[in-house]
Amino acid sequence: MSSKMAIGSDIGQARRAVEQLRMEAGIDRVKVSKAAADLLQFCTEQAKSDPFLVGIPAATNPFKEKKPCAIL
Amino acid sequence: WDSFTTNKEHAVTMPCTWVMACAYAPSGCAIACGGLDNKCSVYPLTFDKNENMAAKKKSVAMHTNYLSACSFTNSDMQILTASGDGTCALWDVESGQLLQSFHGHGADVLCLDLAPSETGNTFVSGGCDKKAMVWDMRSGQCVQAFETHESDINSVRYYPSGDAFASGSDDATCRLYDLRADREVAIYSKESIIFGASSVDFSLSGRLLFAGYNDYTINVWDVLKGSRVSILFGHENRVSTLRVSPDGTAFCSGSWDHTLRVWA
Repeated sequence: MSSKMAIGSDIGQARRAVEQLRMEAGIDRVKVSKAAADLLQFCTEQAKSDPFLVGIPAATNPFKEKKPCAIL
Repeated sequence: WDSFTTNKEHAVTMPCTWVMACAYAPSGCAIACGGLDNKCSVYPLTFDKNENMAAKKKSVAMHTNYLSACSFTNSDMQILTASGDGTCALWDVESGQLLQSFHGHGADVLCLDLAPSETGNTFVSGGCDKKAMVWDMRSGQCVQAFETHESDINSVRYYPSGDAFASGSDDATCRLYDLRADREVAIYSKESIIFGASSVDFSLSGRLLFAGYNDYTINVWDVLKGSRVSILFGHENRVSTLRVSPDGTAFCSGSWDHTLRVWA
């Protein structure tokens, strides 16, 4: 009995897995050449406003050391 | 913490030994955190010294295993959680009610990230089953799954445009997956890097990927070229978490060496 139930749930699980895989296989895909080109375009457009790429003037940088450091 | 003055602003003690997740509400008025207590609790923030923050605590989520990650959705009213019990769940903060649960991971879910768009209704989760799964928040369905990592996925983060996401894993690689092409498009690895990546985040433009590793370093990768730009030393133990500030001027890394370091 218990082995039959185990097999039953395996089939149920397997069916669900197949359903899920069928659904995932069915989605519309974009070619990598196009998708990558879009990522590149987004990146280059946003690069001008990225502080890590462009750098911020020392005056506005809140993390810059404010007090002069005297080494004794 | 105030990151400019390094002053501690609030400390909330939790009843459990490990706090594994915390998140700011979009309004900045509350924080959610949780860990080995299997719950996610929300604390309203108050700057009034007389108020005891712990008193106003609200238990929102309840899982059957540890809470590994949590994040507010676009509003202060809903929280998304990921747990060691292999599921993710969406909760209503006010009532504590479970709005949606997400089943599909075959093992502990270690991380999650919400899609950046205002209208976005998807999020990505990564787990110990080596899979990264993208979910529709309304239906609870998994819409895409990616299984190319060779070990646990410790961290996932959406690319700023929302069309891709990066993941960091115990297999010592970070990978970039494009959602529209439905496949992995880049791997960030080096033979000399043998320790797992615990946490990843993008710079504002998405050109740089910052990844914290268990070998105490932070590697900065050029997302487009796939090469390493820089390696940052400073921590004296594993880097366990890393986040870029919302304005993109700096990022902060947290480590097992008991420090948080801000890099600018």
